[in-house]
Amino acid sequence: MKKNSIMVGLLVLACSFSLMFVSGCATDQAVTTETGVIKSDATMDQILAAETAKSKAEIAAMRKAAADKAAADKAKEQERLLAEASAVKNIHFAFDRYDLNAEARNILGGLADWLSKQSAWVVTIEGHCDERGTAEYNMALGERRAEAAAAYLSSLGIPKDRIATISYGEERPLDPRSNEEAWAKNRRGHFVVVPKK
Amino acid sequence: MRKAMSVLISLVVLWGSSPACGKVYIDINSPAFQKFPVAIPTFKDTGGTKPGENLSVWFAEQLSQTLNLTGFFKIISRDAFLENQDSAGITREEIDFPSWSAIGSDFLIKGGFSYDGKTLAAEFRLFDAIEGKFVTGKKYWGKSAEKKIMVLKFADEILLALTGRGGVFDTKIAFAGKEGNRSEIYTLNFDGSDPVRITAFNSLTLFPRWSPDGSRIAFTSYKDGNPDCYITDVASGRTQKISAFRGLNLPASWSLDGTKLLLVLSKDGNEEIYLKHLDSGKLERLTDNRAIDVSPSWSTDGKKITFVSNRSGSPQIFVMDSDGKNARRVTFEGSYNTSPSWSPDGTRIAYEGSTNGCFQIFSIGEDGSNLVQLTFEAGGGESPSWSPDGRYLAFSSKRNGRERVCVINANGLNLRALPDIPGANSFTNPSWSRRLNLY
Repeated sequence: MKKNSIMVGLLVLACSFSLMFVSGCATDQAVTTETGVIKSDATMDQILAAETAKSKAEIAAMRKAAADKAAADKAKEQERLLAEASAVKNIHFAFDRYDLNAEARNILGGLADWLSKQSAWVVTIEGHCDERGTAEYNMALGERRAEAAAAYLSSLGIPKDRIATISYGEERPLDPRSNEEAWAKNRRGHFVVVPKK
Repeated sequence: MRKAMSVLISLVVLWGSSPACGKVYIDINSPAFQKFPVAIPTFKDTGGTKPGENLSVWFAEQLSQTLNLTGFFKIISRDAFLENQDSAGITREEIDFPSWSAIGSDFLIKGGFSYDGKTLAAEFRLFDAIEGKFVTGKKYWGKSAEKKIMVLKFADEILLALTGRGGVFDTKIAFAGKEGNRSEIYTLNFDGSDPVRITAFNSLTLFPRWSPDGSRIAFTSYKDGNPDCYITDVASGRTQKISAFRGLNLPASWSLDGTKLLLVLSKDGNEEIYLKHLDSGKLERLTDNRAIDVSPSWSTDGKKITFVSNRSGSPQIFVMDSDGKNARRVTFEGSYNTSPSWSPDGTRIAYEGSTNGCFQIFSIGEDGSNLVQLTFEAGGGESPSWSPDGRYLAFSSKRNGRERVCVINANGLNLRALPDIPGANSFTNPSWSRRLNLY
C-alpha cells in the first residue's frame, strides 16, 4: 500500500517536469508569433476592428431582437395572465349569509391553483351586499364575505400577505334594480387580481 | 354672523300671564293625538311696507308652513273664515271668537307688522278661540331679511305654550348624498332649507355622526382606498383622520361631552365595538365575540349602549352596559333587526326591522316591551335617527328607485321627505343634530 503511494508520487513529479519544459517552449513561440503579427500587418487591426464593430452591431441587433421578443413574449404572457386574472368569476352568497357554497369553493380552488403558479400576483377580495337591510350592518356583512373567501384561499396555501380584503357593503351594486335577480347578483365576492407592486 | 343676527332681533313679551304654569299638556307623541286646529288669518299691515311685497300673506303662509312641518297642527283653510277680515283687529277685544270656534278652530294666531324702510317690526298673538283667551304673544324688530327667523321664533313660542317644550327649528340633519359610486356628506335644516355640502372628496363617504355640540361631524370615507374614519370641523372644514386600521373604521355614537366616540373596527378580522378617547387616542374594546357587532348607540345618560349583533344567528338589537358587560337581547320578533337609536328621553329604542320582506321603522322599550311599528309605506324605512326633543325620527326610505331622507313624528304620523340636493340623487344615513342655537 505504502509502496504504491511512493510510486504514484514519483510519476506525478516526472510528469510535472516534462510539462514545465513543454509549456516553456510554447510560451516562447507564442510571444514571437504575436510580436510578428503586430509589427507585420497593421491592417489586420482595422479588419479586426471593423469586424468587431460589425459583429458588435449585429450582436447588439440580435440582443435587441432577443430582448424585444422576450419583452413581447412577456407582455403577451402578462396580457394572457391579466385576461385570466380578470376572468375570475364572482362568488355569490345567500341573504344575510357569508358561508361559501360549493360553487364559491370551486371558483376559489381555481383561483388558488392559479395564484400558486403565479407567485408575483396578489388578490384583493371585495365583499358586496344587496341593498336590503342597514348600510352599516351590510358593511360588516361585506367584510365577512371577503374574509370568508380570504380564509379559504389561505387554507389552500396562498400566503396571507398576497390576499387583501375590502368591504363596500351595499354601496356598489352590479345591478341597481330592486328585485330578487338583482339582489342575487349583488350579494357577491369580487376578485381583483393584479401583479404585486 | 349668527350671533349678530340674534342681537339684531329684539323682542318683547306681549301682555298675558305665563300659560305654562300648572297646565296639563296633551301627549302629542301619542298615536291618538288629534292635531291642534289653528286658523292663521293674513297679518295686518300697520303701514310703511314697500309696495309689491305682500307681507300680509307671506307671514300667514310662512307660519302655516312652519307649524305644518311640526305635525302637531291642522291649519284651517282661509276659505272657511267667517270673521270680517277688514274690520277685525288683532287684540282680544277686537276678535269675534265665536266665528273662529264655529269653523272648528281651537286656536287662532293673529299678527301685524310695520316697515319703516329700515326696520321690520312684527307682532304675533296666539289665542285660545274656544275660551276666547290670550295665550302668548311676542313682538320682534329686525331687518327685513330676518322675517323668517321671526316666524321660526314665534312657532317655537307656540309649541312651548301648547306642549311645554319648544321646537327643533334650529336643528340640522346630516346625511350622505350619493351619485353613482360616489357620495358626499351634506346637511339641511329641519325645515329643509339651507343645504350645505360638508365634504368634497369625490369618493365614497358615508355615515355622518354629529358631535353633541354640533361643531363636528364624524364619518367614514374611502378617499384613501380603505374605509377610514374622519372628523370634520363644520365651521372651518378642517378634517382629521382619526382611525385607519385595516378593514372597517365606522363612527357610531358620540359621548355626551364630545370627548369619546364609539367606533366599529374589524382590524382583527371581526367587527367589534370600540370606545375611542379622542384626546388621548386610547382605544378600548367593548365587545369580544365571534359574531358581527355593529351600530352602537349610547343612551342619553351614557350608562348603556344599544347595538346590533348576530351572535344568536340573525341580526338582533342588544343592550349592554357602557363598559361592554352584561349584554342582553332586546328584540325577539323578526329575523332581521338592525340600526338601533336610543331616544333622547331614554325610554325607547328606534330601529329598522324586516317585516313581510320589507324593512320598516319600529320602536321598542329597552326591556323588549311595547313594540310599535312606526312606518308602513311600501318604501320602507332604514337607519332611524331621533330629533333631540324625541318628537321626530329621520330615516331613509326608497321611493321610486332612489333613497330619500324622510321625517316622521314619533307616533308614526306626518311623513315628509326632505328636499333633494343638486349633485346627488340618493340620500341615506341621516343623523340629527342637537339644537344649534342658529338664531
